[in-house]
This record gives sequence, structure tokens and C-alpha cells, in this order.
Amino acid sequence: MSTIKSLPSADNPEEALATVVSLRRMAEQLEREAVKEAISQGWSWSQVAEALGVTKQAAHKRHAALIKKTNK
Amino acid sequence: MFKRIRLRLRDMKTINKLISGADEQAGICGEEEPGAEHFILSALNLPDGSAKRVLERLGADPSKFREAIKEQYNEPLRSVGINPDIIETHPEPIESKKVFHNSKPSGQHLIKSLYDLKQKDKDRPLLSAHVLSAVTKMDHGVAIRAFKILGINQGQLTRAVNEELDLI
Repeated sequence: MSTIKSLPSADNPEEALATVVSLRRMAEQLEREAVKEAISQGWSWSQVAEALGVTKQAAHKRHAALIKKTNK
Repeated sequence: MFKRIRLRLRDMKTINKLISGADEQAGICGEEEPGAEHFILSALNLPDGSAKRVLERLGADPSKFREAIKEQYNEPLRSVGINPDIIETHPEPIESKKVFHNSKPSGQHLIKSLYDLKQKDKDRPLLSAHVLSAVTKMDHGVAIRAFKILGINQGQLTRAVNEELDLI
């Protein structure tokens, strides 16, 4: 299992911001896959939204179209 | 007069190919909107071949640019102790049927720079090397970091783009 050893110092913004971009992208990919899996397991959009800490509308807007496309 | 009109029509076709190619590349990478890096991948596929020749001038293999994009995401993860090979998710390609094109801010910035460049360079057709020229106006971001992975800095890229465009 991967563990974060340390984060780059904010004193080096070039490195720190590149790390932020990579972590954010990784989180977005994981979110997309997890939401797709949750919906296929029968979760409601309300449950997905609650787990993500966003509104149902926000969760639906962000993921519904992509999930419909990949489920076709 | 007619030459200008022909050039303009040709440029419009090139822009259409560039944008649809960038959308396609973003989809392949599992991203909803193209950034500057996807416009570069699209430019490397344009038939005039000038963007490819710019990278070859610098001793880089154009087909490695996609790998360089991936590596610039992976390198920072390794630096914080995350092994990207273990935890990397494999994004599914996204098929977009959007009627209106939208880009990430870096993609919008690139298109704006491309437009400004063409305003100054009206006598030449829009070429894939112009896309790389627009990238040289950027200081940071995924595209710049990917070039660094290939061992190319902005100064080298600017010189190689100018040498290529001077031949045309």
C-alpha cells in the first residue's frame, strides 16, 4: 500500500503545484471509477452525493453523463 | 486578395482539425476537456508535419510526447512516496458529443496565443509548428513539464520553432 511520506514544501511552488495537479487528477479518476461502481451496485445519487460531501445535483451533473456513456 | 482568402479557408480547416483532434486526445486520456498538452498531441498529428519536425530537430521522438505527459503526472507522485504503477487507475476513454467546444484554461490560453500569432503572421498558412510557438508563451503547466521530461526547455523550443517556420 502506498503512503505519503512527505509533501513538497510550499517554498518550492513549481514542485508543490505540480504535485497538487497530479494528486487532484488521481483523485478525480478514483472518484469517477468509484461513483460508476457505486451506481452499478445500486447506490442512489443522493447516497453518492452524501458520501462525496456534495449536493445531489453537483454529483449528478459531474458524473451522470459520463456514466451513461460508458454503460451503453 | 484571392491568396489571402485561400489561406484563410485553409487556416479554418486546420483549426477545425486541431480542435477536433485535441478533443479526441483529451478523451483518449480520460479527460473531459482538452488542455494545451492535448492541442500539442493533435498538432503532432496534423498533416503538414512541421510540429513533428520541430521535436525531431531537438533530438526528441514526437511519439514520446504522450508518455512524457504521463510521466510529468507520475514524477510528483513518486516524490511523495506514491507508486503510480501500483495505484494508477486506468481512465476509460471519454466520448464527447458536445456541440460547443470547451477547453481547460491552458487550452483556451493556447488558442488565444495562436490567434494573436496568426494576426502577426498573415502570409503563411497556419501550421502545426505555430501551435508549438503558442506553447512557448507559457511558463508553467502540464505541457511545459512534459517538454522538460523530454529534455526540452522553452528557449530550445522557441529556437527550433523559429528555424522550422523560417524554412516555410
